Amino acid sequence: MSALLELRGLRKTFGRGHGALPAVRGVDLDVERGETVGVVGESGCGKTTLARMVAGLTPVTDGLISFDGSTLDGSSALRENRRRIQMVFQHPAQSLNRRMTVGAMLAEPLRLLAGVPKSETAGRIEEMLGLVGLDPAFRSRRPRQLSGGQQQRVAIARALMPDPDLVVLDEPTSSLDQSLRGRMISLLRRIQEVRGVSYLFISHDLGTVRRIADRVAVMYLGRIVEIARTRELFEDPRHPYTKALLSVAPTMDLDRVRERIILEGETPSPTDLPTGCSFQDRCPMVFERCRQEAPVLAAVGSYRSAECFAVAPTSDA
Amino acid sequence: MTLLEVAGLTVGVTRSPTSILANVSFSIPAGKIVGLVGESGSGKTMAALTIMGLLPDGIEVRSGRVRMDGRQLMDPANLTLRRRSEDMAMIFQHPQAALNPTMKVGRQIARVFSLQQGSGRSEAMSQSIEMLRRVGIPGATRVAQAHPHQLSGGMCQRVMIAMALACRPRILIADEPTTALDVTIQAQIFDLIRDLVAETGAGVLFITHDLAAVAEMCDSVTVLFGGQVMEEGSRDDIFRRPQHPYTSFLLDSVQQEVDPDVVEAGVDFELVGCRFGHRCRYAWEACGEVPDLFSVGAGHRSACFLHTVGENRVGTS
Repeated sequence: MSALLELRGLRKTFGRGHGALPAVRGVDLDVERGETVGVVGESGCGKTTLARMVAGLTPVTDGLISFDGSTLDGSSALRENRRRIQMVFQHPAQSLNRRMTVGAMLAEPLRLLAGVPKSETAGRIEEMLGLVGLDPAFRSRRPRQLSGGQQQRVAIARALMPDPDLVVLDEPTSSLDQSLRGRMISLLRRIQEVRGVSYLFISHDLGTVRRIADRVAVMYLGRIVEIARTRELFEDPRHPYTKALLSVAPTMDLDRVRERIILEGETPSPTDLPTGCSFQDRCPMVFERCRQEAPVLAAVGSYRSAECFAVAPTSDA
Repeated sequence: MTLLEVAGLTVGVTRSPTSILANVSFSIPAGKIVGLVGESGSGKTMAALTIMGLLPDGIEVRSGRVRMDGRQLMDPANLTLRRRSEDMAMIFQHPQAALNPTMKVGRQIARVFSLQQGSGRSEAMSQSIEMLRRVGIPGATRVAQAHPHQLSGGMCQRVMIAMALACRPRILIADEPTTALDVTIQAQIFDLIRDLVAETGAGVLFITHDLAAVAEMCDSVTVLFGGQVMEEGSRDDIFRRPQHPYTSFLLDSVQQEVDPDVVEAGVDFELVGCRFGHRCRYAWEACGEVPDLFSVGAGHRSACFLHTVGENRVGTS
């Protein structure tokens, strides 16, 4: 059986001509049923654009999104796919309608997407509030009467109301205090156990992704440069960018001895990429070939790949 | 040697009994990085603004002392900072917002040299460019001619640091200096702050909600909640031997599985006594009073009545 979500050669270019900005430059990625795939990367790496394409909020420039065996092309069964793929955004204060009560916000997707009769609405809302750990009394509150953490719980509840198969979460914990992030992760895990939903979890916060994802994809300048099972990625990163990223991420472990890899400079502008590997100017392992041709994702052991000539030499060159 | 000493600082909202900082004390020795840690609403930024004499309208100092090199900075008669000490500089969370958007960044730094050292216009400009070089900005001459909006967040934060260094501060206050930045850039900024301490022996007040950043950067830590000091000690004390229930809670919430149904409550500033009381699993009648800071080790103090009943180790469960 095919994966729930399959991305093939997915591209997004904003604008055209001279100033065209290639935000996502050919991404292949699968998300299995009940799986959580984390996508990490720094500002401008294209992770949010990727998320928005999957959720149908940003039109695709090129490539395929296949969901549950059928291609999403923006027309067929749009309504049904809207129901089955839902999204949670970074800032709940902005993504919730501040004039609506929590109850009304949760009822709307039921009415618009799931065709649930009115008589069942109240029961479904109460059940959902329970699932996200909120008291039934919250249904009559408005966003401004809620804390940031409570707002994000409502946003998660709203996404789950139409019973989706895939929830795309774009930095869902980044606007929250650190003490709340752990609780949000536990909550998302519990929901996954109960509902069997898949998550595409976008974040720049490596610690959070490590705690929730089954597999992690690392993006750099619009491409996945490494993908592996979470534990393997964090314990044994292969791509030089992943290595650098993990080596400088602060941890609370006072005993950890590590060699920090400080990358030179900043990420180059996506409108002005060098020929060859896009990481070449910051890469400590760069050699001649990297400046002439661009590497592609290639296997580095079982169930993991990296896009790098130094660690995953491809035979077809 | 203690450079800056804050003692018994109480800050409140004008014409309201609410205090947003209650009897807060900490000190910054030369050549050390002191962490001020807490969640949103803990008062950590207010503490910094008080020291800088930058409290917004409607917020007033009720009592307390601020001393630099043993000399009183706060006028005891009207509790205003007599003048902002030229020995202190501050870098902010959002550098783009803190820089003047209408002035080229080179000029903004040059003004510091003109004002502080009476440098002439062209001399100040070359000092400014030299300073941009020191903080690792490539093409400093070109960047000096740029306006803040033309630079990335990481670049702007370097410009802010360059401006702060231009003051040759003996105290640097860094308020969430890297929260808006990516980890690879964060690592570069952290190195800059460490270099400043190593080269000039400056003291740093490092304000953050990110415990991993504290573990990485700080020599000692003061933990704030609801405007009260919960615990203070060396980095090892706080991370290896936390004594206050709030500190343990905070560490656990980052490291361990937490109950998703404990819904986050904000800080209750009306609460009499320990402000962590309503969230604390150990709370009892005594907590209606504000506990003193009890000594729980050399240089390690914790504000909890548990220490009066021989329960001097809360542990991280």
